[in-house]
Amino acid sequence: MGTVESNVGLTSVKQKLKKEQRQLFFKRLISNKLMVTGGMTILFLMIVTLIGPFLVSHDPYEMVVQDRLQAPSAEHLLGTDEFGRDLLSRIIHGSKVTMGVGFSVAAITSLLGMIIGLYASYYRFLDHILMRICDGLMSIPAILLGIALMAALGPNTKNVIIALSIVFTPHVARVIRSAAIVVREQTYIEAMKAQGASTWRIIWGHMMPNTISPLVVQATFIFADAIITEAALSFLGAGVPAPDPSWGNILYDGKLVIFNAWWMTVFPGIMIVLSVLGLNLLGDGLRDLIDPHTNQGKK
Amino acid sequence: MPKQPLLEINELKTHFHTERGRVTAVDGVTFHVNEGEILGVVGESGCGKSVTSQSILRLFDEKRLAQYDGEIKLKGTNLLELSDEKMQSIRGNDIAMIFQDPLSSLNPVFTIGHQIAESILLHQNVSKKEAYEKAVEMLRLTGIPAPEKRVKEYPHELSGGMRQRVMIAIALSCEPQLLIADEPTTALDVTIQAQILDLIVEINKKLNMGVIFITHDLGVVAEICTRVVVMYLGQIVEEANVVDVFENPLHPYTRGLMKSVPQIDGDRSEKLHVIEGTVPALDNIPKGCRFATRCPFADELCVEKVPELREFKNGQKARCWHAEKIAEEDQEREDQYV
Amino acid sequence: MFNYIIKRILSLIPVLFIVSIAIFLLIHITPGDPASIILGIDASQEQIDELRQQLGLDLPVYEQYIRWILGVFQGDFGTSYFSNEPVTTSIIEHLKPTISLAILAQIITIIIAIPLGIAAANRRGTVADQSIMGVSLLGMSIPSFLLGLFLILFFGVKLGWLPVAGYQPLEAGFFTHLKYLIMPAISLGAIQAALVARMTRTSMLEVLNTNYIKTAQAKGVKNRSIVYKHALRNAFLPILTVIGQTFGILIAGAVVTETIFNIPGIGQLIINSVERRDYAVIQGVVLFVTLSYVFINLVIDLLYGLIDPRVRLDND
Repeated sequence: MGTVESNVGLTSVKQKLKKEQRQLFFKRLISNKLMVTGGMTILFLMIVTLIGPFLVSHDPYEMVVQDRLQAPSAEHLLGTDEFGRDLLSRIIHGSKVTMGVGFSVAAITSLLGMIIGLYASYYRFLDHILMRICDGLMSIPAILLGIALMAALGPNTKNVIIALSIVFTPHVARVIRSAAIVVREQTYIEAMKAQGASTWRIIWGHMMPNTISPLVVQATFIFADAIITEAALSFLGAGVPAPDPSWGNILYDGKLVIFNAWWMTVFPGIMIVLSVLGLNLLGDGLRDLIDPHTNQGKK
Repeated sequence: MPKQPLLEINELKTHFHTERGRVTAVDGVTFHVNEGEILGVVGESGCGKSVTSQSILRLFDEKRLAQYDGEIKLKGTNLLELSDEKMQSIRGNDIAMIFQDPLSSLNPVFTIGHQIAESILLHQNVSKKEAYEKAVEMLRLTGIPAPEKRVKEYPHELSGGMRQRVMIAIALSCEPQLLIADEPTTALDVTIQAQILDLIVEINKKLNMGVIFITHDLGVVAEICTRVVVMYLGQIVEEANVVDVFENPLHPYTRGLMKSVPQIDGDRSEKLHVIEGTVPALDNIPKGCRFATRCPFADELCVEKVPELREFKNGQKARCWHAEKIAEEDQEREDQYV
Repeated sequence: MFNYIIKRILSLIPVLFIVSIAIFLLIHITPGDPASIILGIDASQEQIDELRQQLGLDLPVYEQYIRWILGVFQGDFGTSYFSNEPVTTSIIEHLKPTISLAILAQIITIIIAIPLGIAAANRRGTVADQSIMGVSLLGMSIPSFLLGLFLILFFGVKLGWLPVAGYQPLEAGFFTHLKYLIMPAISLGAIQAALVARMTRTSMLEVLNTNYIKTAQAKGVKNRSIVYKHALRNAFLPILTVIGQTFGILIAGAVVTETIFNIPGIGQLIINSVERRDYAVIQGVVLFVTLSYVFINLVIDLLYGLIDPRVRLDND
């Protein structure tokens, strides 16, 4: 009798605790205004990326020589570049390229990193090899590896995505591995193995779900890093090739006319800052939600 | 006229501002310590005994975290009214403190000599050389062999017992009037525990220093304390001299604590007594008596109305509606046995 | 300590091995033959074959790698396809401006970031703390090349206070040197400063919560001394780690910054080589920078022992 009662008591206490934790979670979620702001910014930029190209009135590739280097006006809200192309439509079409590259890289590295990280954490022999490779690649500064890869692959948008995926996958793999190894060490995984559960089921059914939250945080930061690196590569002439617009190569064009056309540096620059800031805020907020105790620097 | 006590605490309240709102960890605590007396403060973890002790030195961050109410009088001076600078000159000088875990309580990057000498340099007008000499002397006083060598070592190079001796050396270096020892032996093994206790008692006698000894170990209380304060959920539930606490506890919580101590001469086949349930959270304090949820004597009155701390014979105090009944019952049971 | 150094160095071997292979392979995934790229479309097959032999491109891949890596051990990072100069010579020629830039950026980072981080930790939760953290978050979100462009636009173009680009060596006078480097150094150091400031704050907060800080308080140590003596010394290890990592990032980031400000450093060397498809130089420079990066982190690790006595002893 007594034990039954106290068990019931215990369950209700547990339920109450869980409810309380959930309430606290949402309280933190809402009270984290910065994170909400970051999320809204990114959402806004995504919408611009998706529907913006249909709304702008000018063709981003159309050159009108007599309109070259015009300051912002009613006709050209953000001015024009040295070929007389409308800057607003170039920036909006550019967001398709830049955000697209960032998103693709985040998605590809998440997938590859997850596979590598999970299998490395499960098989010890793989772990040694894969993690040494990751350490090796991670010790080459990202921008340098990017430049070298782009030099080898040749400059086009697809290659930027490939190069940046190679650069950032090891970062994801590392994070996934350390999250998965915690699960792997747990007794119930041993018990499952003893009961003959398949490796596939253990890895994807039990270890994978525990890596999702750190993955989401990491992917957000990689999205931001990929935007920066793409912009840098394109700015250096080793990324998205002209005449395709990307925020990075608009800045490259802007550098050439920096004495005459401030708008070509300021507006694409603001777009980069907004997207990166938004993603950083979102990532920081997500991390605090998942683990309120770590408030450390980003890297 | 009775002599003025060394330390007098009146209606002390310590509030914390937390994510879940304001929490009162110490709620109206009143007690005193006389010169040369060892006062035991007893209770489960989370009862507020450590918070009380750290409140005496005002160690919590008053700008953001904590707020104190009430009075803490050291020889008549209310510490809660002092400026930061004044308070700093009292800490370590008039009142010193030793903590539970000696390893984490010593700064890993400074030699122990440095850490003892720092305290001396802060409060006494001596040269660096003199301070280091005094540090060696303090280490010798606390029974550390080869102190001249030890002063140059870092905390991680010493054993647990040695580290606690170093903590005591730091605390005693300015000959404080009051020593607060917050579970100083909990992290040590039994033989070392005994040595540290002996050391504290010896120094207490030698310097006629008041000691507040915080512990959850009743065995230690019986051994060294003269008076005992029992705390539960931020309040004092019982206060008495050490004999009364052990012989006729008036509060059901104290009784529970006493029964949960294994008795070597008792019936060993009997199960150890366990106080049912868990301590309620501080933000979920029961309306009436705080112990009612776990008390075998609790009735409607207890659930509805908050009992006051009442005084009984021998100056024994208890916060219970049914203290008389409990005392009577105990008396009857004893009579039966006799 | 000695064992620790040895262990730490040995652990680098597999990493460096992988790094060298990865960088070496870059050349071999290149579409097209370097020899025909160098000679252009007009070259005859014989000329191409001759050059391939001269460059060692006709050997099996593993032999090419062994030749290359043995050269690296002797300080020979290969020969430029374009100028026929040893890569090592080019690197040395371009090293000075890069180092100058990185050091200046590092100094700016440290003198700005650490005091700000400490101030934020001391005033946690206040407006001052939130503004410092807000600015640092903004700083982390402006890529260095972008900040460089903004600085050029404002101080160079609009106000005309500083030269918009160019470089003067130290020999031209310290202040001239500084005048040309200050904008690049700020743009390069800002992100790192933001990072170091956040790390300093976190690390300080962690230490300020420890028991030994409580002990120091209970001894009556003054607040200033608690922060600057008791806490900072302990908080410094993680800060040092970040500073070490950022120095590597600074050198890598200099690549982009140098291009913007037209500074003839390592960065310009590699960008020019990308334009000329001079893979030997790209390979050499990337390996060189990575080696310095890894080496700097090694030195930082070994410095730990000097700050924290526990590291010193535990590894004996």
